[in-house]
Amino acid sequence: MDTRVGEEVPMEEDDEFMLSRNYFLAKEAGSTSRKKSARKLSDIDLVDEQQVLRMAVSVIKPKHEKEIESLLKSYKDLYSKWLFELRCGFGLLMYGFGSKKILLEDFASTALTDYGVVVINGYLPSVNIKQVVITLAEVLSDQLKHKRKNSTRSKSRTQQPFSSQSIEDLLSFLNLQLPDDNDCFICVVIHNIDGPSLRDSESQQYLARIASCSLVRMVASIDHVNAPLLWDKKMVHTQFNWCWYHVPTFAPYKFEGSFFPLVLANCGNSRTTKTALVVLQSLTPNAQSMPINALYTKCRERFLVSNQVTLNSHLTEFKDHELVKVGRHADGQDCLHIPLPSEALGQLLQELG
Amino acid sequence: MSPSPISIPPSSLVADDTTGDSVLQPFFVLHKALPQKCERKAAGSTRTRRKIDLPPSFPKSPEKSDAVASSVGPNDTNYERLRLEAFNMTWSKIDTTIKEVLTRVHRSLFAEVHQWALESFLALKSGEPRNAFEIQSPYPLLDDVICKQIPTAMILTKNAEFVDDMLTFQELGEHLKSKGCHIANLSAMDFCAKDGIACCLRSLLRQLVMDAPDLADMSVLSSWYCEPENYDHPVIIVIDDMERCCGAILADFIRLLSEWVMKLPVIFIMGVATTDTAKKLLPSDALQHLQSSKFTLGSPLERMNALVEAVLVKPSFGFNIGHNVAVFMRNYFLGHDGTITSFVRALKLACVKHFSMEPLSFLGIDILDENQVFLHGKCDALPDSLLKYAFNLPSSKRGKDCMNSRDDLEEGLSDLRKLLKAWSSVILCLYEVGKHNKIQLLDIFCEATDPTLSSLDPSNHKLERSFNGQNLAEGRLDFKGGLISQLIHTVRELPLSSLIKLLDLWSIHTEELCEVHGEVRELQSVVKSSNNGNNLKERQIDCHRMSMSLCAGRTSLSVNGKAAALLDYMVRKFLMPIECLCFHEIICFRNVDILQSALIGNPRRNIQIDLMKSTTYMKCSCCCSTENVLSPTMHDTSVMYNLAQEHGDLINLQDWYHSFKSTVLSTNKLKCPLQHSPMSKKVKSSPSESEASIQARFCRAVIELQIAGLIRMPSKKRPDFVQRVAFGL
Repeated sequence: MDTRVGEEVPMEEDDEFMLSRNYFLAKEAGSTSRKKSARKLSDIDLVDEQQVLRMAVSVIKPKHEKEIESLLKSYKDLYSKWLFELRCGFGLLMYGFGSKKILLEDFASTALTDYGVVVINGYLPSVNIKQVVITLAEVLSDQLKHKRKNSTRSKSRTQQPFSSQSIEDLLSFLNLQLPDDNDCFICVVIHNIDGPSLRDSESQQYLARIASCSLVRMVASIDHVNAPLLWDKKMVHTQFNWCWYHVPTFAPYKFEGSFFPLVLANCGNSRTTKTALVVLQSLTPNAQSMPINALYTKCRERFLVSNQVTLNSHLTEFKDHELVKVGRHADGQDCLHIPLPSEALGQLLQELG
Repeated sequence: MSPSPISIPPSSLVADDTTGDSVLQPFFVLHKALPQKCERKAAGSTRTRRKIDLPPSFPKSPEKSDAVASSVGPNDTNYERLRLEAFNMTWSKIDTTIKEVLTRVHRSLFAEVHQWALESFLALKSGEPRNAFEIQSPYPLLDDVICKQIPTAMILTKNAEFVDDMLTFQELGEHLKSKGCHIANLSAMDFCAKDGIACCLRSLLRQLVMDAPDLADMSVLSSWYCEPENYDHPVIIVIDDMERCCGAILADFIRLLSEWVMKLPVIFIMGVATTDTAKKLLPSDALQHLQSSKFTLGSPLERMNALVEAVLVKPSFGFNIGHNVAVFMRNYFLGHDGTITSFVRALKLACVKHFSMEPLSFLGIDILDENQVFLHGKCDALPDSLLKYAFNLPSSKRGKDCMNSRDDLEEGLSDLRKLLKAWSSVILCLYEVGKHNKIQLLDIFCEATDPTLSSLDPSNHKLERSFNGQNLAEGRLDFKGGLISQLIHTVRELPLSSLIKLLDLWSIHTEELCEVHGEVRELQSVVKSSNNGNNLKERQIDCHRMSMSLCAGRTSLSVNGKAAALLDYMVRKFLMPIECLCFHEIICFRNVDILQSALIGNPRRNIQIDLMKSTTYMKCSCCCSTENVLSPTMHDTSVMYNLAQEHGDLINLQDWYHSFKSTVLSTNKLKCPLQHSPMSKKVKSSPSESEASIQARFCRAVIELQIAGLIRMPSKKRPDFVQRVAFGL
């Protein structure tokens, strides 16, 4: 079989990389007697104030602004092709180094004006897919109303408000077969479909089902080199139906990176009030207004949760984002605490208030 | 590239309109569809079209619209709409054909399953209750295990990849539905442990009972079955991939249905990869409720051959693929996952790319239409710019000189149609031979599309010399690639009975190819008469009876030899690869690189290359363009990743930081002598960046590498090291 056609990788380049890896691995292995680099992080004269470092990150002088701008502009020529492919039923998947947030939103707001567009920020710690589907259904129903005033088929399902319909009903609404027109659809733009909030298989299954709906087209970006591992054959071939584009932008990951700890800021205590605030803001109102250290009874007294399951689901969310830590007390009971310094906590409450 | 039809104010792209709340909202509505555009479109789409209408601005006559025509570029929105419509028509034709082909391949299996389902249903019915009350009441419980068995068709897919079979099961469902059965398709998603049995019951009810309440209740199903229009038909539940279901839930489902089976005639159809799937998955008490029968699906290769024949070989869609694309797609099929689904997806992507890139692709749909009226109309209305484009196509330049008029184009296109038809007939004849050797049609197709084959043109003197009776008699025809010559050789060795059958098939395939058809008929009559004489095997036939010019010069040949010579003649005369034909660009997609990059994104390789070679994208004057030289002006993350290459699996943060710091603080006077750009001056003017700023840049670069999945953060065990994750491209 002729594999050269299917294989793009020039062998020399690949060899070069492997060679360097092997060399340094060997060096590392051989240097045990001389002790491998044991220098500590603390040897660097660290800027100890966490806030100062965060601040410094936010004011980094950008490099190559013009070049990045013209790189982004060069992709504008592709917009009409992208639109063509969307109209032909494909999804667009953008990858390559650099934030693609501006690129995607620019494409959506200039080339997709004929279609309703919903943007999902997958880089945020939590996204509620059901809410997204409800919004999609609302946008689509608006669009259909404009198109056909007396559509009987779409009305039969929409008598019930979308917010109270099951996700299956919503998906089948998004999957309506319009007899006369195949150029009516809405677009979902997903920044970081491989982001932390969407990385679990359930979210991906739902996204795949959304993508396969006849009245939905998806435009998404990935940044992780292993992102394709999120999808199985069915999702790739029959649901997402991606058309890949390599569009490196080299634009800074300003928003995408804001939830990552700074490596030089003493890794363990890297949660700042800002990230906590962001996590809390992106949760549902009930979760936001719940005092984190209160116990189940207290929550019940305040009518914040009605049962243990709901409380646990909130707590899981907090635990996942390390806003709450669980420790076992001497008497065997689970104890919750917030791993934030008290002044940060005070500031947080102040900002929330 | 000419400017895109979408006009955008240049400043809008860089304007940071992403600030504000939207970046912190999990999702938001960017904008809704513009209403006026929607209405205009809706008005435009009310007309029914059999053929593509010309756009409103389509110049009617070339004389009066020269001025307009010159402004109509190939990327004009109207033409884009035409191409889009042409794509939709073409693909819907191809799609329908694919479905028909696959259904045809499975037809016998489907009929077999239907027959079995009917028999099972009759068997169930023999013990069924008489009235509606009995059906709806859950009591008395059945005690006899035999009475509680559900007929189950275990369909062996023999396929490691299950994605193809989904479609097959869907079609099987549709087939049975058309025969009057009630069908519910359940997938592994419905049998997940998290949701329990309620989920699959709900899904079952959703599919069978219109306006089903959102309840998982068997009584709803039983009362639905009692309605006169539903009664007396089997209820077939199709589970396409049994292996991926949660065993416990499936077992519960089976136990539940088995209690009802005498009242509700339920029949299962399950897709399994191996015969013992059910044994592995289900506990024995659930297993004993299944009364299973085995069926087997056809192999992917069998389906592939039928599909290639209908879609790629028969020229009826106005879209085809070139040699490189064909070879790529064959390798993709064989090497990727061997599924028809992925092959069809690749074909569709090629089709989209073709219609999006080729300005004249909208003509394709009419080129292959026997009725040339539409083609004539379209050619007549082509603006000068597109006409000029057509005659500037490389293949058209290769062809004979002509006036470059609209009539010439039309003539060229109808020649293309004739040549393609002939080409397709020959491939089908070759494939009939190939079936004896188990040669796949796709392989023949790949060889037959090879443009280097065109050197086999009879006018090619070099080949003519090698093409003589001596070589032919010895079967030493040396075609490049060898597959076709192997097939010709096969004809020489076919037993007589096979040869007779082969000639019958050839005569069908060559019906429209008069020149060859006559020869085939003649050969048929010779073979048949000789066969009657019963002494044919060694019989020599005088060559002068054959009118074929190719036989001249040879004294005698066996019947097999004659058939081989005929096939050889067909190959030489008519097997012109599409890429050698005039105007083939209009219907033939050849850009394998574009297809490959759109089909198989390679983030692992490309993101690393982006970082290793950022300067190729930046195209700036300040960074060194020489490879492997780091300059302080380079993108921070790129510098960091290049530095990371000097480490093994673990990177000491302090080492990394210091090398980063020294790189970004170094003045690059020596490395980059030509630095007079304002950017580099800026860098030089602030040499002593604060420590905090460099640390911030370092941190951000680490975060960006983490986002790209190229490094892992320090663990508690090794707080001073980050781990490299990706090695090699």
